[in-house]
Amino acid sequence: MPRSADEEPLKLYPSPDELPAQVKAALKDGEEVVALAVTDLVGSEYGEGYVVLTNSRVLAINGKVSEEVPLAKVTAASIRGYINTCVLSLDTDEGPRSLAVFTRGRLEAFDKLVTIINNLVIGKIPYNLLKEQLLNKMKSEQSRKSARAVLVKLLGLLKPIAPLLAATVAVAVAIRVVGLVPPYLMKVLVDEVLTKARADYLPYVIGALLAVNLANTALNTANAYLNTKLNVAVTNTLRSRVYRKLHELSLTHYDRFGSGGLWSRIIDDTNRVQWFLTQAFTPLFINAAMVVFVGATLVTMDAWLTLIVLMPIPVSVTGNLIYRKTASRYYHRLWRKWSRIVSVISDTINAAVLVKSFGKEPEFERKFEQSQDEFERAQMDVFKFEQRIWPAVGLAFTASSLLVWWFGGKEVLKGRMSLGTLMAFTSYMWMFYSPVFGLIDNVRNLQLLAVAAGRLFEILDLEPDVVEDPDAVDIELKGAIECENVWFTYDGIHYALKGVSLRVRPGERIGLVGPSGSGKTTLAKLLLHLHDPQVGALRYDGIDVRKIRMRSLKRQVAIVLQNPVLLDATIAENIALGKEDATPEEIIAAAKAAKAHEFIMRLPEAYDTEVGMQGSRLSGGERARVALAAALLKDPKILVLDEPTAALDALTEDQVTEELERLTRGRTTIIIAHRLSTLRFTDRIVVMENGRVVEEGTHEELLKRDGLYKRLWEAQLKGLTRMGAVEVGEEGVRVEYAARPQHA
Amino acid sequence: MPLDLSTLKILDPSRVKVLEAKLDELTLEVDGAVYSGVRPRRPFPFSHPEIVIFYRGDEEVGMLRDYRKLDPRSRELLEKVLKVIYFMPKVRKVLSIRSVEGKYEWRVVTDKGEVSFYSWGRCVRVLHDGRLVIRDIYGRAYIVEEPEKLDGRSRLYLSMMI
Repeated sequence: MPRSADEEPLKLYPSPDELPAQVKAALKDGEEVVALAVTDLVGSEYGEGYVVLTNSRVLAINGKVSEEVPLAKVTAASIRGYINTCVLSLDTDEGPRSLAVFTRGRLEAFDKLVTIINNLVIGKIPYNLLKEQLLNKMKSEQSRKSARAVLVKLLGLLKPIAPLLAATVAVAVAIRVVGLVPPYLMKVLVDEVLTKARADYLPYVIGALLAVNLANTALNTANAYLNTKLNVAVTNTLRSRVYRKLHELSLTHYDRFGSGGLWSRIIDDTNRVQWFLTQAFTPLFINAAMVVFVGATLVTMDAWLTLIVLMPIPVSVTGNLIYRKTASRYYHRLWRKWSRIVSVISDTINAAVLVKSFGKEPEFERKFEQSQDEFERAQMDVFKFEQRIWPAVGLAFTASSLLVWWFGGKEVLKGRMSLGTLMAFTSYMWMFYSPVFGLIDNVRNLQLLAVAAGRLFEILDLEPDVVEDPDAVDIELKGAIECENVWFTYDGIHYALKGVSLRVRPGERIGLVGPSGSGKTTLAKLLLHLHDPQVGALRYDGIDVRKIRMRSLKRQVAIVLQNPVLLDATIAENIALGKEDATPEEIIAAAKAAKAHEFIMRLPEAYDTEVGMQGSRLSGGERARVALAAALLKDPKILVLDEPTAALDALTEDQVTEELERLTRGRTTIIIAHRLSTLRFTDRIVVMENGRVVEEGTHEELLKRDGLYKRLWEAQLKGLTRMGAVEVGEEGVRVEYAARPQHA
Repeated sequence: MPLDLSTLKILDPSRVKVLEAKLDELTLEVDGAVYSGVRPRRPFPFSHPEIVIFYRGDEEVGMLRDYRKLDPRSRELLEKVLKVIYFMPKVRKVLSIRSVEGKYEWRVVTDKGEVSFYSWGRCVRVLHDGRLVIRDIYGRAYIVEEPEKLDGRSRLYLSMMI
């Protein structure tokens, strides 16, 4: 049996009672359990197994100990992923050992386990330090689990607007209370004034009715004002919190959530929280107050009749619950059918070429008709279903109100109750129902609020994984970079970098080459401390990167990414990103150096041209050159260029490369390139493959070595020769391209 | 190696003379050498209109950091050409903005007279100094120099579009 989803599949430092008996039995005296991970598969069947990390061993247990590996023998832990299943495996001195299999549902838990193991065996983190870190993490995680905890936290977040929230609730309750007065005045009007013909009371009662109405109007205006203000205040408070958090997040988080995910959390979830807060939180108080006030009024008027009033409530609550449960299915089906229609239409439009060229129109028409029919049926089913529930509920209410009139009428006829009281009673009766149902809604919305708020806290509670020490300092970089045994993974399964060590001297120009996916870009980003390695150390001028103030670092390093994104601003502003107080001359000079000036001056508004969202009004090559200009204007100590010339035509590429040669002199530079000719001026070339550095040296040295670099080089030459470079003469090409790296 | 400002070819205004001006072309004398068919361009038409780069074909003759430092006659000739190249009506008053079939129809009074044009929804750009540039569906620009000094009605209309 698969375990329920809420159960925690990874327990850190579990207490003895949390340990299953078979695990306890396997432990030695004094052995401490660091982590207990629970699998949901045993072999290819659902079932529960355990992987236990102790301070000395890793154990796999299902029924009995099936694997046992001393930590001292483990060199690395990893997870292999398949369609549905994953396998936890340990690299040991004696070769790899597969420990346990689990479904992807447990991946997150096992990923954490792998990180812990790797921190111990690869990172060589002292055990006590690791324990302290894990215990701290546990504390903060526990606090964000329960719905109540989330709501309490949300209120904490909204503390600055607490007075506003309180005022809104107070005014809303006041409106309802004032709303209770008119029926009472009507009772007085009927019983005391009209029935007893007391004309002298009439002005007072009418006056009181007028006053109540005026008060009501005033309160309603105040309520509307406060509500509007509250809505805006809530979303603004939340959104700016999340927005500020965005800047703290490292790129790893951006990768994990995807830009769309972060986007929806800032825009949609804050709105959702606001909506639920105003739909659930404020009304909760209002409805509760109403139930108490109106209920008390009813009971004091007539306790027996009040019982009749309560009668339809169980019926309707049951009806409501049934409705909720079943309606969601009907509505979900309706929504599915609708999206079928949308998808047929969108296929037809987006894949028009395909549909037309394959003559699939009749098929699409049939599909469309079919989905229309299904939608119609689903719609009618919703109607039929609703017709089954609501009339019954309505009938219960009608019955109870008729009963109130029946018994109440009898009382009035017997003279035991005044007509005014009965009239007021029936008015209050209807006032009683709506807050009762409101409360049911509120409770449900409160749960949804907790879910939406939970999603927000997922972001707000993220610990920035690129952190600086509290005692970090500003330093002037000389430009030496050193990384040592660096391991890095984006998803917890695949390590993009596997134990990379690299030393770059100040002012050295390094070319980074290797097949796609070999980890070049990851390494480049890591060298700029945009990511923190999970394992290993990164140092600038011999100082650990965490000891350097982020701000001071960012000032002195620059990166130009492949497919760079620009800000929605003018070209001049985008270039000036590199230097706040840049003069127009510097901006032009930077653009000239990046070979961007010519195309910019051809635009009617030249440097004042707005580039559009993400630079969409410029071509890829133009964007690349603007980004390069910004990096050059910054005059950084360390410059990282990720395929700076990839989007350029061969001629421009050649010009930019010439310019780069000049501009990178005396500057620590790391250039990633597929086209090896771009690297002709580098001092050293580092070849990466599959997350590892496999070769290092100058162009000539590497060619002699007969390794990956030589193969890459020959493949590029072959491509050129085949393309008809034959006309120029094969030798000519060779001479041209081989000569260049000798600049270095 | 830091940026090389010498690539800019900055000209000394006292050694530049505009001899002749016709539509978008100038005859220029720089250090005694005469260049004809020279076209001035502003690299920063909005943010630094005083900077001008002279082109002859694709070739850069040089750049003036502030063309207003030219002698009065040269400055007058150059401005005559700049007015042609950077023709841009200044909006003095917005008479009406109506939404018509997904476009907006503007009626405005400019320094060049009353004009009406169509724009798309996102058509007003706010410059750093607070000036507004309105762009119509053909890409023509109209500038509002001091939006806060327009009459209330015009400001209300404009605020709808920003």
